[in-house]
Amino acid sequence: MEDKKQESGSQPKKAITRRSFLRGAGLSTAGSVLLTTNAFAIDYNEYPVAGEEFGPDAITIKMKVNGITKSLSVEPRTTLASALRDHLELTGTKVVCDRGSCSACTVYLDGEPVNSCMLSVFDVGEKEVTTIEGIAKDGELHPVQQAFIEHDASQCGYCTPGMVMSCVHLVDNNTNPNLEDVKKATRGNLCRCGTHPHVFKATLDASKKTI
Amino acid sequence: MNKFSWYEAKSVEDALQQVNSTVSKELYQATNKAAVFKSGGIDVFDWVKEGLLQPKKVINIRNIPGLDKINFDSKKGLRIGSNVTLAELASNPEIKTNYLALHQAVNHAATPQLRNVSTLGGNIAQRNRCWYFRSAEHECLRKGGYLCYAHHPENGENENHAIIDNGSCVSVHASSISTALMAHNATVVIADSEGKKKEVSMDDFFVSTSKDVSKENILEAKELITEIVLPAPTKNTKSAYIKQVERESYDWSLGDVAVVVEVSGNNTCRSASIVLGAAAPVPYRSMEAQQAIEDKTINAANAAVAAKAAMAIAQPLAKNSYKVPLFEATIKQAILEIS
Amino acid sequence: MDTRKDKFPHGIPGHNLSEIEREIPIEEPPAWPVNDKLKVIGKRVTRIDALDKVTGKAKFTSDMKLPGMLYAKMLRSKVPHANITSIDISKAKSLAGVHAIHLIENVQKEGEENKGGKYPQVKYAGQPLGGVAAESLEIAKDAIKLIEVNYQNKPFIIDMEKAMEIGAPIVFDVPIAQQEDGGDVGEVHDGSKGKGNVRGPSTSSFFGGPRGDLAKGFEEADLVVEKTYRTQVHTHMPLETHGVVVDWRADVMTVYASTQNTANVRNEMANVFNLPKSKVRVVCEYMGGGFGAKHSAGSFGPMAATLAKKSGRPVWLMLDRQEEHISEGNRPSSIQYLKIGAKKDGSLTGIQQRSHGTAGVGLGAGVGRIAQVLYPCPNFATEQYDVLTNAGPGAAWRAPGNVQGAFGLEQAIDELAEKLNKDPLKYRDLIDKSEVRKVERQRGAALFDWSRRQPAGSGKGTVKKGLGVGQSTWPRFVTLDSSVEVKIHKGGGVEIRSSVQDIGTGTKTVLAQVVAEEMGLEVKDIKVNIGDTFFPVGPGSGGSVVTGSITPPTRNATYEAKKELLKLVAKKWEKDSSELFIKDGQVGHKTDANLKMSFKEATKLMRTSQISKTASRSDDYGGFQQPWGLAFGDLGSVQFAEVSVNTDTGFIKVDKIVAAHSCGRPLNIGQLESQIHGGVIQGVSYALYENRVMDNGTGHMMNANVDQYKVPFSMEIPEIETVIVEEYSARSSTDAYGIGEPANIATAAAIANAVYNAIGVRIHEIPITPSSILKALNKVS
Repeated sequence: MEDKKQESGSQPKKAITRRSFLRGAGLSTAGSVLLTTNAFAIDYNEYPVAGEEFGPDAITIKMKVNGITKSLSVEPRTTLASALRDHLELTGTKVVCDRGSCSACTVYLDGEPVNSCMLSVFDVGEKEVTTIEGIAKDGELHPVQQAFIEHDASQCGYCTPGMVMSCVHLVDNNTNPNLEDVKKATRGNLCRCGTHPHVFKATLDASKKTI
Repeated sequence: MNKFSWYEAKSVEDALQQVNSTVSKELYQATNKAAVFKSGGIDVFDWVKEGLLQPKKVINIRNIPGLDKINFDSKKGLRIGSNVTLAELASNPEIKTNYLALHQAVNHAATPQLRNVSTLGGNIAQRNRCWYFRSAEHECLRKGGYLCYAHHPENGENENHAIIDNGSCVSVHASSISTALMAHNATVVIADSEGKKKEVSMDDFFVSTSKDVSKENILEAKELITEIVLPAPTKNTKSAYIKQVERESYDWSLGDVAVVVEVSGNNTCRSASIVLGAAAPVPYRSMEAQQAIEDKTINAANAAVAAKAAMAIAQPLAKNSYKVPLFEATIKQAILEIS
Repeated sequence: MDTRKDKFPHGIPGHNLSEIEREIPIEEPPAWPVNDKLKVIGKRVTRIDALDKVTGKAKFTSDMKLPGMLYAKMLRSKVPHANITSIDISKAKSLAGVHAIHLIENVQKEGEENKGGKYPQVKYAGQPLGGVAAESLEIAKDAIKLIEVNYQNKPFIIDMEKAMEIGAPIVFDVPIAQQEDGGDVGEVHDGSKGKGNVRGPSTSSFFGGPRGDLAKGFEEADLVVEKTYRTQVHTHMPLETHGVVVDWRADVMTVYASTQNTANVRNEMANVFNLPKSKVRVVCEYMGGGFGAKHSAGSFGPMAATLAKKSGRPVWLMLDRQEEHISEGNRPSSIQYLKIGAKKDGSLTGIQQRSHGTAGVGLGAGVGRIAQVLYPCPNFATEQYDVLTNAGPGAAWRAPGNVQGAFGLEQAIDELAEKLNKDPLKYRDLIDKSEVRKVERQRGAALFDWSRRQPAGSGKGTVKKGLGVGQSTWPRFVTLDSSVEVKIHKGGGVEIRSSVQDIGTGTKTVLAQVVAEEMGLEVKDIKVNIGDTFFPVGPGSGGSVVTGSITPPTRNATYEAKKELLKLVAKKWEKDSSELFIKDGQVGHKTDANLKMSFKEATKLMRTSQISKTASRSDDYGGFQQPWGLAFGDLGSVQFAEVSVNTDTGFIKVDKIVAAHSCGRPLNIGQLESQIHGGVIQGVSYALYENRVMDNGTGHMMNANVDQYKVPFSMEIPEIETVIVEEYSARSSTDAYGIGEPANIATAAAIANAVYNAIGVRIHEIPITPSSILKALNKVS
């Protein structure tokens, strides 16, 4: 392609930063590095309640994640996936298709698997979010995680958190799943490396160990 | 997604006060000041993520109290709140016993993750599936443009598109659950901002493209689906649903068929309700197939005649003629599953 | 060079295992015995980074968050072929939160008129034009929408066959160069040969050019098969998209990259920005899949770096799913004409191949060398043409060319077998001279129960079953520029360092296994630090070269480090170091069992904090094939497929695959199985589901998402059984090779042959869909 050699273009004029736009020239460059959109948030700091309008600018809301109540400053357009990854640095949750078609972004909302890329963070309310980081309890792996390790059920590992979430939910809710059940539980989980056969094996093995 | 504000609706009345447009209206002619509903939000956010829908305000109707119930009465039938999720429908034992076609349709739909979020109201009100319609680069008929790209004789990529009622927009409806609901003769309860409710049949709920290309259903801006109602089955009511797909895991329908019949003792079809999904821009009731099987014994020969009759009116496009034999096989199979 | 002679295992255990003597450089470690006699090599060792992966702790490039980091989005063309007349960034520039905007411009040499215009010509919809860095990804996306690009549209061409016609719109009116990470790795032409959009042909490969006399070959033939096969364009769709995070500081530019080639990305970035390689550091700890497409820094790498420079902040630039599909590579399409002649006894007399394929605006759309080398045939010629179209460029995709080539060849061989009235498997016994594939056919057929196979189309009922087979070969590529450093730390701890990356194949784990085996330690004792160009340069993960290239120097460096440690112990014990060994973490003496010291104690004898040894890949024992510099031997595979086809609805499902493979000395059985599963599943996907759909009227890809770009999910996964055939050839200190490409080559052909067996009608084009089945069965009017 011809593009590669054409990178060194003219220097555009210095862009107006959010800092200068909002605050004038009062802050040092070093200061601006520390600023994120959070700094301009309205301090609300509750769960969103009915009969009220929020946004479009960021406000601070509460969210229960992996048993801990967190405060975060988000816009209504912020997806739950983005809130977890970009605001709370829980990057185990992956965004792959960004349209609810691959389940790499699976988290639990009150224990049920959902696509966090297709929910606004305002959809969460007082429900509890569980992410891949919250599956191992007190440093002890879930049997599904242990079985994934033993059966080599991850390759590149990018689908793995979503796969684990689907399989943990199955094993926790079905004491004796068969292969068909595992396939149904993971039917929305895209994997491009082809880990499926080992995922199936691992999950069936884990279910036997949890009885 | 563009910046929008979020309104958490308290009640149906509250929601109807806030709303000022529909996704259909905005996609057809954007106002840039739209306040639209979202329930599960899967389809609405899909449009927002593509940049095709740019709402000013999103009204969350998902948490409105009272819209999340399933009530079955053997005499009055089944009432499903519009916020009931597909997951709740899929696992409901009364639906499995009394409305098998619906049960099967729901169990073939989407992924576990999506079913936990998608609501029935949102599912039947979602917009059509067509890659041109859903592409930001194609100003098609359904988005207020002058051209149906899929219909183009040489360039149209229309393998997934309509074979019936395809004179204008050739997209197909995305809700395979609607195929089953229409076959079960379901009705949709719609509330308006004046506090009135109306109940319309699924047949009247959907709008043919020949009537109005900008939308798939009759919903106006100040209207909200509150319930879907299915009549009570008799002891002679039997139903079946079959969906053809390339992939069983989850996939859009290539063609799906729901059949609900009243059968008499000697395996004769007394009345039939036969609906085709992914055949036309909205779920299509095949009067042709119904007439062909009514008062006939349900057997392979008569099922084949009904299937042929249904497809006699098909006018496939350049790349979807395979749908004709596919539907013939599926209609026949669905009728035979009844017997 | 000082040499010595050593005896090595040679051949296939359970078949023809023997010993061979090789003269090798004196510093090479002693021969390893067969796997049965080793402790950690060839075993099911769990992946050393699996814990990070299952707990969500593994940090991929897309997960990076650096202090002050900005998020970038690229500006892309909305039309397929145009000159850009102007770009207005004024609105985007004034959007709050935007920190830097960069537009790609033509380089104007001093004193020359810029004939191309200020901006590059647009050659496909989705081509990168510029980028924006902002405080959040949402703001960056908002800014991109505010940039106004004015195009002067030109006629364009998407359909390959129409692009070949005289009078078709011309994509490039100049010679163009093959991309570094292009498609076929055979002979490349520079795009100057040919007319209009049709460039080439390529007629030779590293196995040589045409051979024999085709006309004579076909004259001698009693039977001829002459067919045309077609394959689609399919995209890589790795779960993690292409992208980088660039942190450009005064002294060094650090590039966190989702790449399968850290060294190449470093070289490209150093080259673009005119920096010494020592000042560019590329890091890839975890990466979410590449499959051939992620060898380059692309346009996004330099874009992120430029935005980082302009803003003075680190910049995150990961592509979205649509961009990934459109502009970051695909396996080119093919239309392959094949003519094969044979005598009545089945012996091949001639193979003629002519192919056209499109890699969009790139080159490399050949069909590989499989027809040239899989079955010996005295008369052979190929012509492989590239057809340029206004679509995103192709890139290497797991066994470039050969997957397309195998789809044609392996069906043609079946068609020939049928004409000869021979069983396709038995016919391959006759014409295939490979010993390892012979064993694979035997073991695979037994596991699969090939004897169940019925005549084509003979099944009763609506759903018909079919069985088929397909074979493949892949060269043993070796990258000699493969180096590692092995360190023993005082007080314990062994570390290995290299720039080589683990793309999910398990490279980290096999390196730990090799070090552990040689050092007499356990895998958990070895720390693997790779994917960083501040370490010795390792190979790119492509062509299945990694295992064969990097494990021998790993063993050799470990061996050297161990020798140095043992010298210290020997001195203390007053023994000769050659009499010492390390086993199970203990240093011992061959004859004096009383002498024992833990590995940890031994390291305390070190005068310095570390023993560090660096090694590079040695030449193969016995040298290379000349004049091409290619390793001897190949990686052979045989795959068996069982399908069921609904003849009423056209629904097709692959029920089972048996995959028999060789990769020299297998290092890690679990990981090999995983990779074979991956190759097979991608093959299933290629055969039945995937297809890039382009609108010929507008030049846009219509299914650039996950939902309509169809790949298999759980219910589409067949039962897969693997047969791994150990094969020793005594060519290096590990004698191990990769499996990545071979796993993917034969599957689609095996499935196509099985579909024929099921329905009795041959389908010459993939993907095979309900539509194509119903058409083949004449059910579509």
